[in-house]
Amino acid sequence: MPTLNRRRFLASLAGALPVATIVRRAHAAAVAHLASEPAALDALAEVVLPSVAMGKAAFAKEVESFRKWGAEYREGAEANHGYGTSRLRTLGPTPMTRWSRQLDDLDAQAKAKHQKAFHEISLAERGDLVRAALQGQRLDRMPSVADASHVALGVLAHFYNSSEANDLCYEAKIGQQTCRPLAQQARKPLPTLKLSER
Amino acid sequence: MRRVVETDVCIVGSGITAAMVADRLARTTNASIIVLEAGDESIPLSQRPATRDRFRRYGENPWLGDHLEGYEIEGPLQSRSMVVGGLAMHWGGVTPRFTPEDFKHKSVYGVGTDWPISYDDLDPFYQEAEAIMGVSGEQGPKDLDVRKKPFPLPALPLTYNLQLLREWASKAGIAMWSQPSAKNSVEYGGRPQCCRNDTCSPICPIGAKYSPDFTWNSLRKGGKVRVVPRMLIRKLVLDPATKKITHAIGTDRGRPNDQIEYRAKTFVVAAGYTWSSHLLLLSAQSGAETGLANSSGVVGKYLAGHRNVGGYIDLPIRLYPGMNEQHSLLSQQFMRKKGGQFIRHDLRVWESSVGKTPRLVDDQGNVMLGQSILDDWRQRTKTGTARVRAYYDIIPDRSSELTLDSTTKNEWGDPLPKLAFRDAPESVALRQQTEDSIKALFETMAKAGNGKVLRTNVDSFQDHPSGGCRMGDDPASSVVDSWGRSHDHENLFVVGAPTCVTGSCANATLTFCALSLRSAHEIEKTLPRKS
Repeated sequence: MPTLNRRRFLASLAGALPVATIVRRAHAAAVAHLASEPAALDALAEVVLPSVAMGKAAFAKEVESFRKWGAEYREGAEANHGYGTSRLRTLGPTPMTRWSRQLDDLDAQAKAKHQKAFHEISLAERGDLVRAALQGQRLDRMPSVADASHVALGVLAHFYNSSEANDLCYEAKIGQQTCRPLAQQARKPLPTLKLSER
Repeated sequence: MRRVVETDVCIVGSGITAAMVADRLARTTNASIIVLEAGDESIPLSQRPATRDRFRRYGENPWLGDHLEGYEIEGPLQSRSMVVGGLAMHWGGVTPRFTPEDFKHKSVYGVGTDWPISYDDLDPFYQEAEAIMGVSGEQGPKDLDVRKKPFPLPALPLTYNLQLLREWASKAGIAMWSQPSAKNSVEYGGRPQCCRNDTCSPICPIGAKYSPDFTWNSLRKGGKVRVVPRMLIRKLVLDPATKKITHAIGTDRGRPNDQIEYRAKTFVVAAGYTWSSHLLLLSAQSGAETGLANSSGVVGKYLAGHRNVGGYIDLPIRLYPGMNEQHSLLSQQFMRKKGGQFIRHDLRVWESSVGKTPRLVDDQGNVMLGQSILDDWRQRTKTGTARVRAYYDIIPDRSSELTLDSTTKNEWGDPLPKLAFRDAPESVALRQQTEDSIKALFETMAKAGNGKVLRTNVDSFQDHPSGGCRMGDDPASSVVDSWGRSHDHENLFVVGAPTCVTGSCANATLTFCALSLRSAHEIEKTLPRKS
């Protein structure tokens, strides 16, 4: 009897349960999968993010924050409604299921090409696999996190939408959308500490 | 089941203009006041940090459930929000005044219609509204920024970015100042100082921005008004003999089989530009066959607003986007034209990151990963971007209108409104020239700073909508008088946005509030005054 792996388990659900339940369970399975096998996502983030410039602690915090983002996504939640229209929107399908699958695919490709797991191959080899995976994806702009068609883009979008990324770019303590003293906005933002000083 | 509730004043709607009226009447009279809101309670302040967090991370609505189901209507509705506090729960808190010319288009430019009041008539009520909300502002040049008293709160300090952008604007000969805002520059009204969370619209997580719930909380705590949420008012009923309104008929959304009659001496319709006209038209009955207050046939007509031309200008200035992106510079220089062609607009400037955001592919088409994205981003942010935008004034056409849509009904069987905004012929004729002149101004500004216009856009949506129950001295061509009192029914007032004759080219919420307070001063004359 074949083993009931994650994909077969999800497929078996499809015939038996209401769509909303299937979606919830598929999301939960993807979240659990990422949590139980963290190495692939860590290895991917190391390739796509400026991990050295960020520093170890900030890098680890960012990857954890991305995982949390995925885990707490609520498909079908009411979206902020825009001006000028009476149309209401909801959040789209959870990206976690495709991201989880794409990480598995990267792992499978690493094994096929290098006989090692994705997290065990070199940074350059990982970069080649990610570039290959991004071929055919829309890359003309940084997507929103939820719209990221590939997990690599999801990781990038999550980081580059953050206040931390903004500060890293400008090398200044801007603290975008964080609670900050009002009076300080009249002054040029202070420079951030260099990596060696952190 | 049928229930009857008696009160002195019955206010329909609980948005910002309703809050102004209730606040004034509670301060100056002993009248009993009931406020009827079709939507639910808004989420309390204590929950806003959490819902803001979900908004920032996922784009979720931070005001969950702030609307009625089934209200998808035809036309550009400003917002689906229907909740205690109304649209001003998620407004940007921007509070410029109109200028004196806004009230006399016919006299100054020879187009449109003069308002029945002047800027000077409204000035005391602007002051009162600014004090209630706690407006932080900087006095602009006296000839451009007319006001008889200082702002109640000191200005929000200009960010480092805006200071640089103000210097740049001055090189182009444009005087700009800190945008007046209902955001606390210092603690005020029991609310804290702004701390630049920078999500003012849609949600301030700490209450530094004024929103009507603060007024409602205070009035309810003091037992001064009764606010009834989930109460959809479907009709105002007339006594054909006296022509006075006798009662409002409401449906409790929680108990739809109950019909409640609210009987009052005075009725105040404070339901914004859409739902005010909608209720009057829904209230057609014997003696008011085309709707209440509609002997002129003008209810729902002359919907007003303003379009904008926006753009982004690349400047050789090192800016630091993210310091306070929702705060802007303002100029009313181009609103103060003293005659000539009817081309007038405001001007605002913000910090921006447009054109300077991180990208995935370099100029050669190579996909970037890792450090290369950051390096590329750093390289491109050595210069800055200014966001510029001008709202321009439009004369509304009579056919710019709200009508009842017999094909779309709510779950209680009432037709929903249908909206269509249309420019009067004078504005149609000037549209291209107006938009071209604003784009030319952006080019001049770019040149003055050795910069380049990255792109421009014209928004077809008319923002800050108003009208539908326009004020006027002539009952044949207007719905209410300058106090908001219906020409047809002496105990019926319509307040705020619907009463506007035109939409100006400034964000209009403060003006809606000032007009409402002016109405409240008139309403209180009929009520038992506090000693």
